[in-house]
Amino acid sequence: MAHQQMPIWATEADIDEDVDLSLAIGNYGHGHFEDAPIQHPQLDETAMIAIQQHMAQQAAFSQIPDVVKAFIVRFHQAVLENNLEEITIAYESGWNKYTEKFYSRTEWPEAEIIAPLVNDDPIFLILYRELYYRHVYSRLQPNIDDRFHSYENSCELFNYLLNSDGPVKLELPEQWLWDIIDEFIYQYQVFCTWRSKVKNKTDDELVMLAEGGPVWSSYSVLNVLYSLMQKSKINEYIVATREGKSQEEIGEIVGEFGQRPLYRMLGYFSIIGLLRVHVLLGDFTLALKVMESVELNQKSPFTRVTACHVTTYYYVGFCYIMLRRYPDAIRTFVTILNFIMRMRQYHTRSYQYDQISKTADRMYALFAICNALSPSRLDDNIANIAKERFGEQYAKIARGGQEALSAFEELFLYACPKFITANPPPYEDNTAMTDLLAPADAADTAPPGYDATQRHLSLFLADIAAQLPVPTLRSFLKLYTSLDAKKLANFLDVDEEEMVQEMMVMKQASKSLSRVPGGGEITSLLDGRVITTSDLNFIIDENMVHITESTVGRRYAGWFIKNTERAQKIFDDLKHMPLPAPPASAANASSHRSTHPGAASGAIAASAATPAGTAKETTDAQAPAPRKVAWGGARA
Amino acid sequence: MDNTAASWITPPSRPELIENLVSGVDRYNPNNVGILEDYLYHQIRNEEYDCLANLAILKLYQFNPELYNPDVVINILIKALTASPLPDFNLCVSLLDERPVNAQLDEPDPLPTHLPILRGLNDLLFRCRFPAFWDIYRSDDLESLRDNYTVEVAGFDNAVRGVVVRAVKAAFTRISTARLGSYLALSGDDLAEYIAKLGWTIEPATSVVRVPPNPENQIEATVVQESIKLPQLAKVISHSVSKA
Repeated sequence: MAHQQMPIWATEADIDEDVDLSLAIGNYGHGHFEDAPIQHPQLDETAMIAIQQHMAQQAAFSQIPDVVKAFIVRFHQAVLENNLEEITIAYESGWNKYTEKFYSRTEWPEAEIIAPLVNDDPIFLILYRELYYRHVYSRLQPNIDDRFHSYENSCELFNYLLNSDGPVKLELPEQWLWDIIDEFIYQYQVFCTWRSKVKNKTDDELVMLAEGGPVWSSYSVLNVLYSLMQKSKINEYIVATREGKSQEEIGEIVGEFGQRPLYRMLGYFSIIGLLRVHVLLGDFTLALKVMESVELNQKSPFTRVTACHVTTYYYVGFCYIMLRRYPDAIRTFVTILNFIMRMRQYHTRSYQYDQISKTADRMYALFAICNALSPSRLDDNIANIAKERFGEQYAKIARGGQEALSAFEELFLYACPKFITANPPPYEDNTAMTDLLAPADAADTAPPGYDATQRHLSLFLADIAAQLPVPTLRSFLKLYTSLDAKKLANFLDVDEEEMVQEMMVMKQASKSLSRVPGGGEITSLLDGRVITTSDLNFIIDENMVHITESTVGRRYAGWFIKNTERAQKIFDDLKHMPLPAPPASAANASSHRSTHPGAASGAIAASAATPAGTAKETTDAQAPAPRKVAWGGARA
Repeated sequence: MDNTAASWITPPSRPELIENLVSGVDRYNPNNVGILEDYLYHQIRNEEYDCLANLAILKLYQFNPELYNPDVVINILIKALTASPLPDFNLCVSLLDERPVNAQLDEPDPLPTHLPILRGLNDLLFRCRFPAFWDIYRSDDLESLRDNYTVEVAGFDNAVRGVVVRAVKAAFTRISTARLGSYLALSGDDLAEYIAKLGWTIEPATSVVRVPPNPENQIEATVVQESIKLPQLAKVISHSVSKA
């Protein structure tokens, strides 16, 4: 790479002004850069700055290890050629490999530094910055410039995609497209959280926040997501696909943008992005409403990117909790947790494995919450894992009272999304800021109210507190078929009237809206009908309580189906195994094998389509064992 | 209340204009807040209720603090109270981002004082503490809430009674007149009239109210048997087909 330095220099000299300019007009308080050319129009000074910068860049450039330079060049080439396979390799392994090796604690070289390597390709530099900032956010501590610049870069990327005359030619792997949307929302969330903490901000930061304008504003984030959805006509696409329209018809409906996978997937991911943004902002109904056209099943396109799949279910499940639709939440979590468990063996190597398993842990906690509020036996396996992982909380909940409440609080705080406040504290208003900061000196907590999590937690806990006596009541009722209300109140040592009112709560808690599972027609996630969620039912006849219990008959089907499938699999595997050479006539058998190479390899590679003949021939030739003949014979 | 979510998502009384706002991107346009606020006052006068449309107002307030109108917020919360045990009230409060003391308002913001009161009332309704609800709601402390807000909400008392009726209907087959009266905050002729309007009957001898049978107060012990659906067997069947 060092040999190429001359031509690189040449190109670098050309763009120096560009670089300089972009630094100078970066409107984030680089006052002296801005002023210099205006107040002192001497060429010397600007030239000096340019030269200094040039030299600094050269120095930085020469610091880059050659392998990294080569990697960037190859990466760029792959993007230019829209070579998805190469891009995927560079994106999923190359980038992470060199991050581990050279940049685990420092930033990657800035885009301006590596620009000469990629002929200043503006698109690649935007993509590069996307990765650059993502690395800063995940491994390092972003400073305020990083926060503002990463926003700018995202805007540039989306502008490029949305405001070009026709669809851009760029192709990117689906995983990356998801990461772009995911990261965009993540950075927005981190920014809002950081912004809402008014203490410990430097004066510079306070000024920049006051003048920040639309940077990371909720409107601008929603705008991006909605624009991507509209540009790709994704909702129309989903509806048309569901209606079974032909490729041509769909192509016509979605237009030139929507036909391209890049736009279609970005549109799709934007819906999921909206789901997440609305949850972060505390709007749980709207979150589910934007998902209206998306089918929540394992065949949906969003399941192709596992991280997206997991995110979707997490947020949908959480919405259901806040809508007090615990059976729906349970079903959502069970589905995805089973999926994660099945896929675990493939994911341990993925660079996103950590993230996915963290989300899974949080979903076990949410499952524990739901299961306590609406006991069900949908999936004992998941229930056991949750119990194992959160045993302490399970025990506290079982004990009831204040302890149970604190266990719910722990689970909720551990597992809830990172809620944000839509609006900044009044950074632009000096007097309001002084007011805000003054009392905060006394108590070192954040000023009340700017913590959205506390607001959602208190609502949630109020719901829980209302239902706390239900389990105790239930355990008493379970012992009787009918019982005088006064007697029950005596057992519980509470006022009779209070207890009767509590029983109405219990009745309320034993039913819930629920989506109808497996009901052919497509319904939106908000839809549902009331179902009974408890196996214990009762009515009050003036002062007598009558109790009935529904029992579930023993279930056999699942066991038989599972074991039939298992037996079939073992059977298949057995059939496809090469037969062991009989120990007595080992030499004999090996000579057979060499004379029948086709038969042997046929047995090894036998697929479902392998004609019975091959296997049978092998059997006849090699295996005198009567068992093998038996299955060979069964087929004939 | 019917037993599906359909009329909650789209109340039959919702005009088309509002439907378009609620379901489209236009819901984010601050210029539409007036339309939605008018619709809220329409609901208040006509005993209608549209949770999603009201949430759309709160959403606009969330994003545009300068639109914030505390009276509207309080009215939305009052309407949401009587949707109990649905979570509407909580959904509304979830959208109320805290805001700095607003200097632009001419009068002190009434929300900070009213919000805890409303949350208390909501809690009592959700916990079916109906007698306590009426005691507190009618106490002197809540005079300001009654005189400035609920008095304008047509049929507020009856909407609360609607919550009571839903809870009683599910849990009781018979209930003493005194108990029902304490839940409804009615007595004497008013109570008798209300019960008659519900179509419930009072047993003359005992003066116990008979709640007509409905799916929720009819209980019977059942044994749930498993039912096997074809898709569960798909793997097993397809296996034997492909291997045959």
